[in-house]
Amino acid sequence: MTNYFYVSPEQLIKDRAEFAQKGIARGRSIVAAIYDNGVVLVAENPSASLNKISEVYDRIAFAGVGKYNEFDRLREAGIRWADSTGYTYSREDVDARALANYYAQHLGDMFTEGQKPLEVEILVAQLGNKLRPTKLYRVAYEGTISDEPRFAVLGGDAETIKDRFALSEDSLQSLATTLHNASTALSGPDRVIPPEELEVGILEDRGIRRTFLRLTDEQVKELLS
Amino acid sequence: MGLPLFSAHGDPGPSFWHYADSMGLAPSRGALHEDAPHATTVIAVRYDHGVVMVGDRQATGNYIASRDVRKIEPADRFTALAISGSAARGMELLKIAQLSFEHYEKMTDSALSLEGKANYLSPIIQRNNLSSPLLVLPLLAGWDESHLVGRIFEYDGAGGCYERFDFATIGSGSPFAEGALRLGFRSDLDREGALELGALALYEAGDNDPNTGGPDFVRNIFPMMISVSAEGFQEIAAPEVGERFRQINERRTESRGVAGGTLR
Repeated sequence: MTNYFYVSPEQLIKDRAEFAQKGIARGRSIVAAIYDNGVVLVAENPSASLNKISEVYDRIAFAGVGKYNEFDRLREAGIRWADSTGYTYSREDVDARALANYYAQHLGDMFTEGQKPLEVEILVAQLGNKLRPTKLYRVAYEGTISDEPRFAVLGGDAETIKDRFALSEDSLQSLATTLHNASTALSGPDRVIPPEELEVGILEDRGIRRTFLRLTDEQVKELLS
Repeated sequence: MGLPLFSAHGDPGPSFWHYADSMGLAPSRGALHEDAPHATTVIAVRYDHGVVMVGDRQATGNYIASRDVRKIEPADRFTALAISGSAARGMELLKIAQLSFEHYEKMTDSALSLEGKANYLSPIIQRNNLSSPLLVLPLLAGWDESHLVGRIFEYDGAGGCYERFDFATIGSGSPFAEGALRLGFRSDLDREGALELGALALYEAGDNDPNTGGPDFVRNIFPMMISVSAEGFQEIAAPEVGERFRQINERRTESRGVAGGTLR
């Protein structure tokens, strides 16, 4: 006969949270910020092909930190959800808040009922228009969803990076300034992240339906110089 | 609909069609009546740095259902897709194609090849046409970014996909357009030459096929003319198209309606 030991719910949640936090802390962080003309997502990512930032829909972008296979599956689910919602109804009915809520529910379910919690944090960014506001939704490993007013930081070192980024100006800045602030917040005072190790995506109105643009190494270099 | 998560073995991959099918979103297989608006002429001509397409604007049922249908649409920046046959099924195919190419690009962070896009449509056409009397036959033309040429792909009713190296036509006005194209096509056509030939061929189809709409000078509705090249999908502005057809019309009036022994 198997012996069952009593584990208090508090202890169980604490253990699971610690497990997820450890997993997330192993990866590098992401800063997402609103600038004067759009939204920029900046990830420290030495890989040029295993992306952390992705286009989801016309005005929606995704960013994930933690275990790659876990957040990439969520990214794919987000694209499928957005494309099939737009196909069934209309393109303008695809809303980032709905997607962020689905992520929150799934992460919450996995945290309490899954074999193990997912070791990821997710950001859903939306570029506003006359129908919807510009938004940054951050979803934590246990399903907590937060609506970040101006910028959001994901990853293990989030608090330190958040403090460093918050020191930069309070008003909305240009893309170049915001990218520079994000990059220095990610790196800290003791080092500089080379531009080719930064993965940068923006949501910006450029007269076409799809607002997401992945910046090339050259574009990042130019903006940071 | 909840978050569409799949396990690794059940994952439909970057194909929107496979995904939509697994979710029951794909077009049905049921047969319907065959009286939906149809009939068309769309022409694609290859030139030295791309392809041009010309298409009429008329939707015909038992009478003219619409005079300003757009039968050619950009499927993405470098691909044009034209439809003939059932309007409802054609529109749906356009929607699926546009969505699928973008879906693939977002899922994999790389664009499908032009040949990949052409092949992708085959089973969709096959399933529609072999299970429903509402036939749809598209024509796909685009700029091949990996081989830097314009390419044209046509389909048969069973979904077979064939590349054409000169020109292709779809719709009920095809025989007449085809005649003009066969006489006028040269392998060294430039964009202007291809547009002019395409316009002539469409004029012929509109003149002879009751279900193809020619230039409508009363309502100022003119056939659609587009090109796809390294610069992407470009639609020729309506006044320019109108002027082109006005000139053809004047020449025909002078020669009392016959082409006059030469292709003009």
